Amino acid sequence: MSLSERIENLMMSVQKPVRYMGGEFNAVMKDPNGVDVRYAFLFPDTYEVGMSHLGMKILYHAINARDDAWCERVFSPWVDMADLMRRNSIPLFSLESRTPVKDFDLLGITLQYEMSFTNILEALDLAGIPLRSADRMEGPFIICGGPCAFNPEPLAPFVDLVAIGDGEEETQQTIDLYRQWKAAGLPRSEYLRMAARIPGIYVPSLYDVTYNDDGTVRSVTPKPGSGAPEVVRKALVKDLDGAAYPEKLIVPYGEIIHNRIMLEIFRGCTRGCRFCQAGMIYRPIRERSVEHLMRMADSLVSSTGYDEISLMSLSSGDYSCLPELAHRMVERFASKRVRISLPSQRIDNVLTDTLKETQKVKKTALTLAPEAGTQRLRDVINKGVTEADLVRSVTDAFEQGWSAVKLYFMLGLPTETDEDVLGIADLAEKVRRCYFSVPKERRAPGLRITVSASVFVPKNDTPFQWAPQLDYETVVHRQQLLRQALSKVKGVDFKYHAPDLSYIEAVFARGDRRLADAMERAWRMGCRFDGWSDQFRYDLWLKAFDEAGIDPDFYALRPRPTDEVFPWDHLDCGVTKAYLLREWEKAQRAECTQDCRKGCTGCGMKRYGACEGRQ
Amino acid sequence: MRALIRFGKQPRLRFISHLDLQRFFQRAVNRTGLPIAWSQGFNPHPVMSFGSALALGWTSEYEVIDIKLSAPMGRKRTEDAVRAALPEDLPVLEVRMVDDKHAAPMALVRMSDYVVRLEGENAPTVLEQIPAFLQREVVTAVKKTKSGEKEINARPLVIALEKLDEGAFKTRLMLTESQSIKPELLVGLLSDMAGVEAPQAHVHRLALLGLDAGGNPAPLMAL
Repeated sequence: MSLSERIENLMMSVQKPVRYMGGEFNAVMKDPNGVDVRYAFLFPDTYEVGMSHLGMKILYHAINARDDAWCERVFSPWVDMADLMRRNSIPLFSLESRTPVKDFDLLGITLQYEMSFTNILEALDLAGIPLRSADRMEGPFIICGGPCAFNPEPLAPFVDLVAIGDGEEETQQTIDLYRQWKAAGLPRSEYLRMAARIPGIYVPSLYDVTYNDDGTVRSVTPKPGSGAPEVVRKALVKDLDGAAYPEKLIVPYGEIIHNRIMLEIFRGCTRGCRFCQAGMIYRPIRERSVEHLMRMADSLVSSTGYDEISLMSLSSGDYSCLPELAHRMVERFASKRVRISLPSQRIDNVLTDTLKETQKVKKTALTLAPEAGTQRLRDVINKGVTEADLVRSVTDAFEQGWSAVKLYFMLGLPTETDEDVLGIADLAEKVRRCYFSVPKERRAPGLRITVSASVFVPKNDTPFQWAPQLDYETVVHRQQLLRQALSKVKGVDFKYHAPDLSYIEAVFARGDRRLADAMERAWRMGCRFDGWSDQFRYDLWLKAFDEAGIDPDFYALRPRPTDEVFPWDHLDCGVTKAYLLREWEKAQRAECTQDCRKGCTGCGMKRYGACEGRQ
Repeated sequence: MRALIRFGKQPRLRFISHLDLQRFFQRAVNRTGLPIAWSQGFNPHPVMSFGSALALGWTSEYEVIDIKLSAPMGRKRTEDAVRAALPEDLPVLEVRMVDDKHAAPMALVRMSDYVVRLEGENAPTVLEQIPAFLQREVVTAVKKTKSGEKEINARPLVIALEKLDEGAFKTRLMLTESQSIKPELLVGLLSDMAGVEAPQAHVHRLALLGLDAGGNPAPLMAL
């Protein structure tokens, strides 16, 4: 029986068999004998999550635009399928051709979230690939990218290459290099040494890490004679109009999380929110032109048949030509019944009239993220929005016929006090009053306010990388404080979670290589899909840390001195450590930093020659 | 004007549920570039309907979708446009243009032809029961319905049944709202008669049929 038939025999007994089916419209099929490089792209989560991800779509089509390479998709099989695959000795396979992953030349893995790390170990094991780079004598080279690649240290022993920054060009370079390496018939280690010279490529095995007596990192240096750079600068695509972007998108059969056209209107963000890693690592801001976006939208609408275009970015209201873009999009696509949506709505941007028009159809909840309950704390995190902004935004929305508002906050931000937490309940009460200030005949019935409070996770490459995460007991105390305060505000639904998942996330976000062993132990004990609360096993994680001799508090809860060497310091994310430190110090004085569109704030991106900011 | 399109569902895509296939076609018709008619109302959608739902796991060479067009369109152009909008595992097999008065395929369906392939060592024993089954006038079966289980006489619902080879049979089964039987249930009845556990069945739909002017079974696309 062929592998394909054996896979299909399992599909009748698992949840959502379409996850493993392939054969979607616009999926790329090639003759395996007609290409030199077989590239497997793993998204280490379910099909529905991975297929909603824009970065994977971009790289999939960029690689497949080459005649010499074929990129196929791989997703983490859900636990039911993974267990059946093991029992039936079915290796991890690609969706397009159902080829075992271990038969590919390169295996790209995107790191979107620390809590998907164990899924990578699970995937390698299911594929029959040795977990550790040093144990691999054959099989695909493993290349990780994505936001967590800016601190890949906990994964260091498992991966071969790490692609830092924008993937469009560096991915192609790793493929070009693979062809050269294969043609030259060089040993495996030589590919790693050669790859270390590609801009943005970091090869963890070529670096030595030393530690101080207190357990902090003393130094990370290239191994003598390795030729690896002392500091790896992130790869940067300077002109997005010239960058690869798919003209076609795979259209899945089942429902996925974001089932629509995603149009990335710009990359980067100028706001400088101090908790936000994306706002730092994706700098500088690079906009696509309206003309280019219109052309992209045209080809995507006709090639997919989707009825919605989402204008994606970190802060879409900031797009400099938004009124023009929105107007032209609506004008162009209204007759085709294609909706235009703006997912990332900030409370300090006024909805343009055109977008109000497009959103008339579907009034889902208005989602706003004040992040903190008091002005003082919002200044600490440099959120740059005021209560007046919020009041104006929700009143406007209630007048337009919205009746549901979701408010997102974080608990445990640096300098937070009980008073800041109680401020969240005050804001909720004010939102309620805004609703009742709109005359009854003009507002939609049924006010619903959802307050959602996540636990803050300090991330590498942000001004809060020096901050401790708030301890478990205090988080629980403040959650209860807020719950009680909100119970007095009518019509509010409060959502919060146990802080244990965020704690493990905090450990890995600022972790070092010594965590790899604990991660492997946790996976061997059965940890996988940690980001899914029904799968997450806090008890096993604590046991794994204990057995590995790791104190997780050291990584999550320790205040870090400003002169500490961080495990990721040798990876240049674009903004400088000096800038982050200035921002950390300003945060403690609750001093704001302006949006850098209004004047350069000296983050360091000018070193890359890709930022027009004035000094 | 409406387009009746017969398409197939190849083995690879047999795991798509009917609901997912409906959603898929909403997007597929947008890709055709044809002048699709849209429904009125709060949530407009392309006007289209299916001949009959295909169960998860089955393959077919006779699925029928009926798409309403807002402007006249030639058969060939329609066929080319639909083919370009579907993946190769949903091949377009036949296209017919009909006017708006033509009855909906769903309303015309009376029966369906299937080839059922059985797996495993019980297959021959099960297939041996076919002559005995055909000779009986009453075969009691328990059918699961939304409201529970009910006993039916399955025999009159099986219009034709013949062994193809040592592992497969071909059958024509009633398929109306009030009278229908699924091939798996028939396999279950034959297995009960043989006194063995029902083997795994691979169901392939050969045709959907209605009744012609003379009351004789005829393929749906020809009506």
